[in-house]
Amino acid sequence: MEMVNWKEIANGLWIWICGGITSGLGLYMAYYFYKRAVSFMHNSGVPKDVTRSMVRGAVITAIGPVLSNVFIMIALAVAISPGLAFQREGVGVGSVFTELVQASNAAIAAGEKFGDPSFTIKGFAAAIFIMNIAGWGWSVEAICTRYLGKIREKLTGGDPKLLAAIAASSMVAVFSYYSVSNAIKGDGFLVAVIVSLLFSMFLFKLADWMKRPHFKEWALGIAMFVGMIAGKLYAG
Amino acid sequence: MANFEEWHVDPAAFERDYLKPIHRVGTITSILIFVALFLPSIWLYFITGVFPDWQTILTGFGLAMTYAIPFYISEPIAYYPIVGNAGWYLCGTIGNGSNLRVPCAAVAQEVAGVKEGTLEGELVAAVGVSVSVFVSVPAIFFGALLINQIQQYFPAWLMDAFNRFLLPAVFGSVWGQFILRGWKYAPFAFVLALVPILYKVHSAWALVICVLGTMFVSWAMLHFLKIEA
Repeated sequence: MEMVNWKEIANGLWIWICGGITSGLGLYMAYYFYKRAVSFMHNSGVPKDVTRSMVRGAVITAIGPVLSNVFIMIALAVAISPGLAFQREGVGVGSVFTELVQASNAAIAAGEKFGDPSFTIKGFAAAIFIMNIAGWGWSVEAICTRYLGKIREKLTGGDPKLLAAIAASSMVAVFSYYSVSNAIKGDGFLVAVIVSLLFSMFLFKLADWMKRPHFKEWALGIAMFVGMIAGKLYAG
Repeated sequence: MANFEEWHVDPAAFERDYLKPIHRVGTITSILIFVALFLPSIWLYFITGVFPDWQTILTGFGLAMTYAIPFYISEPIAYYPIVGNAGWYLCGTIGNGSNLRVPCAAVAQEVAGVKEGTLEGELVAAVGVSVSVFVSVPAIFFGALLINQIQQYFPAWLMDAFNRFLLPAVFGSVWGQFILRGWKYAPFAFVLALVPILYKVHSAWALVICVLGTMFVSWAMLHFLKIEA
């Protein structure tokens, strides 16, 4: 069994097909949700140019993080295989860092060392199994989404003011946490957080002052690029 | 652009024409994606005859869960109020919630001028999150396919900038947007984020403390001081 070259198998057509199946399912779900939401909005009297504006804003905002995912994915592709990187990241639950941690955990469990020349197909089989099932909790939570709404209704008693307060406060809290945890590393990270924060606030306010709501489509996309470049320039 | 303050969703129609089919398709597709996660291991077994033994699975699974379980708890608490039902189906199965799905939902809501946590906000978030999937899945596919060309043609300087500084910049820019929308909660959220980090609390629990703590503050402000979002 040790004669099998795991690197060759790891990038076979089979893993691309597996990635294609999960990605296809994910794309179908997104397409269905999109069509339902858009047709409901249009039937409720929302003009098409408004939904187009939402789409433009989301596309512009997605470009930076998606490019970043692609670049970071290189680490996983080099460490294991491009096919597995696609299978895990196309409809993957974790970050590349998480994936590498899970692969290392699986290798340890199989009595091997991930990244070591002695790594075998046995370690690869363990890695692929553990990486895929490690996200079971999120999948189960997605399956149980309908109950999240019911829990929220029970906790808030359906009070629209409380629902709005909870949603608004959770938004601020989530990104306060992620921003502070990055900024506290100092150096370019602090610069990236502060510059992007100020730039984003300025651009959203500018759109309001100029009464040009379409500017908002670009605000996050521009702010994140400016923050990233500022962080890199500072760090060198 | 339409004045969205005049746009109100009929809750009965929302439940009947939107939410029911979303739950039906979302549940079935999520189950299929869950099952599909086992496909690579099964396929690999048929090709090579290698399948991890139970001891390896249990040890690896145990190690994996020490890392993942806190996030299983923190993420639905944090993201669901923002992205709603359709958004959570996609966040749960496709991932990248904080760095991609939530920012796209938020910008779509901002452009539309609707509030998070409302029925209108949920519909708009569904569009934002879905569109982020249309962008990310094909990009990851072509990125994996053309990995050598990417390494060759993109300057190392730019790739390093993306690898290290895009994520903090995404968080900073979305934070800025949310501070404008929920500024009254921002000082509390900042303190509740900073203190657990300084005390080196596990990141997922620190997120839970920050989110639940800020939610509690918002409830107290509404309940005792009548301050609305």
